Amino acid sequence: MAAEAEASVRKRKAGEDADHGSGVDVHVEAVDSATAEPPSTEEIPKSSDDTAFNSNPNPSESFLFEDDYGYSCSCVDDGDIMKQYTDIRAVEAAKIPYLGDKEPLSSLAAEFQSGSPILQEKIKLLGEQYAAIRRTRGDGNCFYRGFMYSYLEHILDAQDKAEVDRVLSNIEQCRKTLQFLGYADFTFEDFFSIFIEQLESVLQGSETSISHEELLKRSRDQSISDYVVMFFRFVTAGEIRRRAEFFEPFVAGLSNMSVNQFVKASVEPMGEESDHVHIIALSDALGVPIRVVYLDRSSCDSSSPTINHHDFIPSSSSSSASDHLTKSRVTLLYRPGHYDILYPN
Amino acid sequence: MLDVSRVQKELVECNRDESISGVSISLADGGTDLSHLRGTISGPVDTPYQGGTFVIDIRLTSGYPFEPPKMQFVTKVWHPNISSQNGAICLDILKDQWSPALTLKTALLSLQALLSAPAPDDPQDAVVAKQYLREYNTFLATARYWTEAFAKGSSSGIEEKVQKLVEMGFPENLVRSTLKMVGWEYIVYLDKLTYS
Repeated sequence: MAAEAEASVRKRKAGEDADHGSGVDVHVEAVDSATAEPPSTEEIPKSSDDTAFNSNPNPSESFLFEDDYGYSCSCVDDGDIMKQYTDIRAVEAAKIPYLGDKEPLSSLAAEFQSGSPILQEKIKLLGEQYAAIRRTRGDGNCFYRGFMYSYLEHILDAQDKAEVDRVLSNIEQCRKTLQFLGYADFTFEDFFSIFIEQLESVLQGSETSISHEELLKRSRDQSISDYVVMFFRFVTAGEIRRRAEFFEPFVAGLSNMSVNQFVKASVEPMGEESDHVHIIALSDALGVPIRVVYLDRSSCDSSSPTINHHDFIPSSSSSSASDHLTKSRVTLLYRPGHYDILYPN
Repeated sequence: MLDVSRVQKELVECNRDESISGVSISLADGGTDLSHLRGTISGPVDTPYQGGTFVIDIRLTSGYPFEPPKMQFVTKVWHPNISSQNGAICLDILKDQWSPALTLKTALLSLQALLSAPAPDDPQDAVVAKQYLREYNTFLATARYWTEAFAKGSSSGIEEKVQKLVEMGFPENLVRSTLKMVGWEYIVYLDKLTYS
């Protein structure tokens, strides 16, 4: 228990690659067609950083986020700071929904048109393999929300009943893991049932079946979206703790916390960003492969830039299962501190 | 909307092993409002809080369990991470480190752990923290005093002091109204004066 009280040393990627999008004009329209609100033509104000796309909204320039630096919390006027933080998130929320509309990859190019030539070159390369992007809100939950939508959309497109059954049985395993680890059922059961509900409703042919439009609407609805994010956080937490020995070196590379402390501080709370450790754990636990494509400054020195990617292949999968693995793969675009969804050509 | 069914399950789960855990939760003021609760923590052994029972005011917003419960000590307590003025608590899991994976019970257990292991470098109450770091023995004595005066019995400590003042010749209602006016912590200073 003392560990809980102390579990507050946090890793932050604040300011990482801070000049990443310098000089970039951001053109994202805040039109949310699915929620049928009056379309807003307002653009995000031009900014000299990529605040709008970072999960951690640029703490280096704001006193509001000073608690991100220190040990634990700065308790003086904490309520005010929390409120301002919430307010700022609300402003961000008005700009970008949890999940945006599908946009052609050219919109990404437009975003970087006055940015680094190397990144422009990389986006061009990206265009050879990928057709479209769907942005997610940078609220620290972008990896999980991107995964949620991308995976459910895949099931909806493929109508892959076998895949649903396979994942359902993995979810049962996750439930047992959490029970074994001592989580009270009531802490996770609602989150499990809401995800299972979504999973079953993307399969067509029943009364509860839903369309693409409805899936997008639900993914933007906090009362569903946040529950699904939390479901993934439970699954990720359970997997990391179940295989603590395996994950220990990864965790040690990120922080000076024990595995359990790491899970409490960086997996279970909403808004905590995801790293390799989280992706490996979620991919393994559900048995869903994830490809992450990196749009960053790596390999920038060479005269011919290349796009790097990493495939997270579930450890439990056998080679004979490789067929369904490539079919059900989720592809995300990583920019420092943020994940969006990518659509292959 | 507050997740009423979850809160009900939490109450049952928390109170099931109260005798072992030393924490419990009930509805505040015997009411029916599940968003306003009252927690109790027994002071951990081998700490200046041993033997005390500490009451925590708990308020749940409609965003619970996504938003943390708002907790505040009702019982006055002398601790670096708890305000001696208003009982406000400095604990990360009640703020940005909260998770729906936690429960009211685990939060109360964390408060109990906080009583056992103060973090004076990250204080809520600067005066207490300074004393903890510079005059540890005075801190221990003061914390014990406060436990005696405020956390034992419903008001036995207070009643005793009232009695003492009445015996000195002050009218009882004047004693009570004065003590209430200056704040009951006055009793601690009174104690110091009387006994030192």
